[in-house]
Amino acid sequence: MLRARRRTVVTVTAVVAVLLGGALAATLLTEGGGTAGGGTATSGNAVTYQAGHRPLAPEFTATSLTGTTIKLSSYRGKTVVLNFWGSWCPPCRDEAPTLGVLAQQYGSQGVAFLGDDVGDTAANALAFTRSVHVSYPSINDPGYAVVQTFSQVAPVSDTPTTVVIDKTGHVAGMVLGAVSYGEMTTLLHQAAVTS
Amino acid sequence: MTDVQTPQPQQEAVNGGAGEAAGGGAAEPPAASPGWPRWVWRQLTSMRTALILLFLLAVCSIPGSVLPQQGSDPAAVQQYFGSHPGLAPWLNHLGLFNVFAAPWFAAVYLLLFASLVGCVVPRTFRLVGSARTPPPRAPRNLDRLPHSSSYRSALPPAAAVDGAAAVLAGQRFRLRRPGQRGSDQQDRGHWVSAEKGYLREVGNLLFHLSLLGVLLSIAAGGLFGYKADKLLVEGQSFADTTSALDEFHPGRLVSGSDLAPFSMTLNKFTAGYVTSGESRGQPSDFDADVSYAASPGAAARSYHIRINDPLSVDSVKVYLIGHGYAPEFKVTGPNGSVAYQAATPFIPANTGTLLSDGVVKAPDASLGFEGVFVPTGISVDGTLQSIFPAADNPAVSLIGYSGNLGMDSGQSQSVYQLDTTAMSKVSGSPHLLLPGQTWTLPGGKGSITFVGVKQWVSLAVTYDPGQLPALVCGILALAGLLLSFFVRRRRVFVRAVPAVSGTGSLVTVGGLTRSDASGGFEEEFAELAAEIAAAEPGSGPGTPGQAGQAGQPEPGGSPPPGSRTEPGA
Repeated sequence: MLRARRRTVVTVTAVVAVLLGGALAATLLTEGGGTAGGGTATSGNAVTYQAGHRPLAPEFTATSLTGTTIKLSSYRGKTVVLNFWGSWCPPCRDEAPTLGVLAQQYGSQGVAFLGDDVGDTAANALAFTRSVHVSYPSINDPGYAVVQTFSQVAPVSDTPTTVVIDKTGHVAGMVLGAVSYGEMTTLLHQAAVTS
Repeated sequence: MTDVQTPQPQQEAVNGGAGEAAGGGAAEPPAASPGWPRWVWRQLTSMRTALILLFLLAVCSIPGSVLPQQGSDPAAVQQYFGSHPGLAPWLNHLGLFNVFAAPWFAAVYLLLFASLVGCVVPRTFRLVGSARTPPPRAPRNLDRLPHSSSYRSALPPAAAVDGAAAVLAGQRFRLRRPGQRGSDQQDRGHWVSAEKGYLREVGNLLFHLSLLGVLLSIAAGGLFGYKADKLLVEGQSFADTTSALDEFHPGRLVSGSDLAPFSMTLNKFTAGYVTSGESRGQPSDFDADVSYAASPGAAARSYHIRINDPLSVDSVKVYLIGHGYAPEFKVTGPNGSVAYQAATPFIPANTGTLLSDGVVKAPDASLGFEGVFVPTGISVDGTLQSIFPAADNPAVSLIGYSGNLGMDSGQSQSVYQLDTTAMSKVSGSPHLLLPGQTWTLPGGKGSITFVGVKQWVSLAVTYDPGQLPALVCGILALAGLLLSFFVRRRRVFVRAVPAVSGTGSLVTVGGLTRSDASGGFEEEFAELAAEIAAAEPGSGPGTPGQAGQAGQPEPGGSPPPGSRTEPGA
């Protein structure tokens, strides 16, 4: 009887382990993954990373719509607003004037604005920047190469997305979807706190 | 195991192992099972419940194929909502538009899983136990077994049994002789028990474990895999990142940073078509010439994706699932500056001739166009038609609109549809353009040039880590099932007693199969009995090698020998 009892104990243990695993799987199945780690806060469609928890923005060298070379590291010491957009994307066209106003307002305060034009042709993008008077440069990124490198460190998962990079080159926060003026000013003030 | 063994085989010998299939709980002694949790567990792990759950799983997946599913075709779900405004919300509450992610589907799935685990785990112990357990002692009256025969031997009982044991051992039976165990002391006769067909249990176990493996593989695929679609025009490239993909269906545990970081460029797409005969216009070959890099900065390689020949990169597969034409347009605004220049994917409206529909949106010139593209065009009664899917004589027919395209309001809109609510037609009739031609719009509104034709391909990017394990487990499950179907667990007993008259002995051979479903044991037993009798140098006179008729009824002999082979019950 002793062996039979031991076998029962082993069976029950194995089964309990499997059920716990199943319960865990069920929780994941119904909730979905991707909970934010420590040091992040989400409000609306904005994500903020507290100083000390900011992921390092990936370095890139790319060509702008007008053919000049753009290197992220050359912006070190400035806060960078990097806007992923396309002229084909209505929310991007909608938010562009807001970003234009912010660029004028914060340009003198050590904040650089940069666009990353995705899934687009240079002709279409330039036609748009002319018509909305966007003065800051944009990377010509039809194949989403810069997006791909950023998606490894931050959830750049749709267009438009706007990433704020602090003076030390770390991602301080981002807005998923079209930006609002209020969200951006809040993010820029938080990004200024680097330690 | 040893203490359970003694009573069990006798019972099993009677039951013929029928209780076996009912799973682990059934064999437990009922006295030691108080309380309802144990009862619930036993019910859950019974084979009947497992079968009901398996059936339920099949039934539950029916709505997934009858109703449109959010995961595979969200547009069709929207359509369904439009056409069934009363019913659709209720179906949605029940999760019927996303069956495979619905909680009730997960419940069935997990219960089935628990049931299988609860069945297989105790079974594993039992198999290990029965593999270590020798066959039961030979029953006293072998002629009561479903198969039996007897013969007279010239040898003394011990030697006769030795001879029979040697034959059985030669046929890879597992043997048990008297005196090997303490309990055998009570039965000091001359006998041997033999058992064969343990592979049946192995097959059974393999089947169950593989079934678990299939479920686990599917779960792994659902949790860690993803599916995505991407439309790519010749000359364009894309990186495997969520915002670049047209459709993205991630598994539950997939986040954007988990995607394989490859990128690819479509250099050229070639479609071959049958040019003559009845199947004229049928596609004969597709070939997408791509360059790809497995990660940013990695060396570019080239590959030709064809139907059934996907590109494998970083454990992701890229399939070619569709193609079409992307006429290239250049639109200038009223001031003469270029407002739009791009190859614009048109969607085939006729898959045979590839007559395609599409729109051109030039919001910065306040112009929009609805177009029909024909790869090999002819004009039939004034309407443009296509007679062949290859771009032999391409043409587009455009309807121009001017005004606000509604693209600056922030509202998302389809790239394949033009919102003309705030626009007006620039001319009454459609305008036909051939490659290189320009249509200068009336009223100085601008112009549109049909620059040339490119092709696009539709790619499916899939990552399913469970695919290969599921296949392997499926094959193993089948192998296990076949083993358990075709291998019989059978026992043969031989008992010898001293002959009443003269020297020698009376040998009785009894046989029993624990699964009579597959039949054929009768013949096997007859052959075996014959072999045992034939192995005997001094077996009954005039009966060389024919054990079936070998034995002569022993007058007055105790035990009453059955000289015939009885058919199975």
